[in-house]
Formats: sequence, structure tokens, C-alpha cells
Amino acid sequence: MKTYEVFLKRPGKDPFTHVGALEAPDDELALSFARDCYARRSEGEQMWVVARSELLVADSVELEMADRSHRHNDGALLRDLRKAGDSPAS
Amino acid sequence: MRSWDSMDDFEAFLDDGGLVEPGDAMPDTYREAVFRFIELHANSEYMGGLTERDWIAKAPGLANKLTALAKTQDEIGHAHLLYMVAADMGIKTRDEMTVDLLAGRTTFHNVFHYRAYTWGDQIAIAYLVDAAALASQQAVFKNCSYGPYKRILRRIIAEEGFHMRNGEELLLKMAKGTSQQHDLMQEGIDRWWWPSVQLFGPDTRPDDVLLRWHIKSERNEVLRDRFVQKMVPQLTAAGFTIPDPDLRQDPDTGRWISGKIDWDALKAAIAGRGPDSERRLRDARNAWDGAAWVRTALDEAAAVPA
Ligand SMILES: [Fe+2]
Ligand SMILES: [Fe+2]
Repeated sequence: MKTYEVFLKRPGKDPFTHVGALEAPDDELALSFARDCYARRSEGEQMWVVARSELLVADSVELEMADRSHRHNDGALLRDLRKAGDSPAS
Repeated sequence: MRSWDSMDDFEAFLDDGGLVEPGDAMPDTYREAVFRFIELHANSEYMGGLTERDWIAKAPGLANKLTALAKTQDEIGHAHLLYMVAADMGIKTRDEMTVDLLAGRTTFHNVFHYRAYTWGDQIAIAYLVDAAALASQQAVFKNCSYGPYKRILRRIIAEEGFHMRNGEELLLKMAKGTSQQHDLMQEGIDRWWWPSVQLFGPDTRPDDVLLRWHIKSERNEVLRDRFVQKMVPQLTAAGFTIPDPDLRQDPDTGRWISGKIDWDALKAAIAGRGPDSERRLRDARNAWDGAAWVRTALDEAAAVPA
């Protein structure tokens, strides 16, 4: 038995969403089991089934550790600048 | 992978609404407790699905047979999803869980230790048992700290909602039916009221780790009381009685107060000494043995290189 991960995409703008996993002996049956387990009520119009062993999993520590503040702008500086602009000194 | 320096840190993370994921270095006690809880839930879905299956042939009329078929698939589906989440916790494989269940080494909910004799029983189960199970599951979902369980519960709850609505629909039909149908339904309610109330369990102990670790979000007695407040007026309005001679309404608050609950019946059922425990387990073993050729075929399919 192999473990597979199942992704569904509902109609419309939603992206593919991971919905769960299952065990199956081969790819063909994995698709069939996935339909039985996760899409009995047409919960998606598209389905991806991927063997867990084929997934490339990123290191979550690497995703988190860097300081990425320069890629964000929380608007704090802008707020201060605007406030300064309102003051009677200007 | 996340890890925590101490149980205090871990509990603070949970109290903050943190979700634990399978790759995290969660404390062993948490892993064990959550696993046991999900395994019990999975076993119960599986046992429920097997008995639901009996009603595909017995349900009156095509529409009811189709519903029984869909519900059977739902319950077995719930078991599949939950066993998968449980297996991913790395304590037991799916096969080990099945073998333990069939050997009587693990348990399943009390309501699946009773026998459904009539169509009235079956409707009482859909109405009372599914409502009680749904209320418990919603309470777990609300605040559940284990990510995969929470995500799978969302789906289970949606489907359980169909079952409960179907149960209420059928109950109201019986209420408006012939006197024979009414009696059949009343007998079903009489048999299933107490097991459904007992399903919530005795009052939660103050040291219950499932509550502290945000698996349960509400105390058993709170959920049980809410169930009684909801069901008594609904059943009475439909013209049925509750098999609890000591049931009374508080004159000040208007709340319903149950008579004494027989917790020994709950304990006996869960321990496998319920009125129908033996037959149910035998059925489950037969289903497992009867499907041995499917497992063999699947194993052989897996062995053939693609
Ligand atoms: Fe279910
Ligand atoms: Fe159900």
C-alpha cells in the first residue's frame, strides 16, 4: 500500500486545496478511492492525487527564519509621515 | 517541524489557539491522548457504517434505500478519513487498528452496542444518535488543536448534518402517519433515548486532558444538557413522549431536567457487554474476513510493477 495526498478544486476562483490522504495499492485505485472518499457529492470539479513519496517538502525552518521585513510594508512609516504633514508647522 | 521546550510552553501554544501538525515534536502524552480519541471516533464510524449497511436492503422504498446507501458510504468514508489521520500519528497502522477493534482490545461508542430492530429504531438513530454525535463533533471541531483532525471534522460534520436532517424528516413523517407508524416511532424513541443521552458521557472530570489540550471544547454535561433542551420540545411537539418518568421542567428557568442517568449501562456497553455487542462484533469480524480476498487482491496489485 502507498499513501497518497488528495487535492480538490471547486468551481470558480478557489485554488486547489489539500483535503486529506488515503492508502491505495496503485495509482489507478488511488484515483478511484479518492473519488469515493473525498468527492461523493461533487465537492470539486478537478482532483489531484499525488503519491506522498513524490511530494517535495520544503524545510519549514528555512521558510520561517529569515527576516523578510524589507519585503513587507506595514504602513507605519507612511502613517508617521502623513501625521507630520498635518502638523501646523508645515 | 516545531518543538516545545516544556509542557508549559506547549500548553501556552495550545491556549493561544495553536494548531499541532503531524511533523511537530508534540509531547508523547498529547500524541497518545489525541490518537486514542481519534481511534475511538474512527472505530465508532466504522461500526456505525456496518449497521447502516443492513438497512440498504431493509429500508422501505427506493428513496430510503438510496439514503441508506449514501449514509453507509458516508460513515465508512468517515472511518477511512479518521483512520488515515490516526495512522499518520505514527502509533498504529490502519491494519493494527482494525485488528485491535475486532479483537475487542479497543472500544467504540455505546450506541453501537444496541440493536436496531425496526424502521422506527433506524429513524430514532438517525434523529437522536446522529444529533448527539454531531453535537459532540461540533464541540471538538470548534477548538480542536490537532490540525488534521480539525480539517477532516469539517467535512464529517457537513455530512452528519445531512443524516440528522434526514432523521428529522423521517421522524416528522412518522408523526403524521398512521397510528401504527406513530407507535413504531415511539418504540424507537423509547429504545434510543437513553443510549443517546449517555453517549455524551458522565460529567467531565476537572483534570480531563482532552479539555485542557483543546480536543474537547465543552464539558460533557454542558453538551448533554443542550441536547436535552433541544430534543424534549421537538419530540413533544411532534406528539411523542420521552421515556424518562422523572423528566421535569424547572418552573423558574423552564429548563428540562433529566431523571437519574444509568452510567453503568454506558460502562457495560463500552466494555463490550451491551445488549448487542457480541453480534455487532461478530458481524464486523465476518465483514473483515469476508473481504480478505479484496485485501489480497490489493496487495497483489501493489506487488505488480507498474
Ligand atoms: Fe459519521
Ligand atoms: Fe451519521
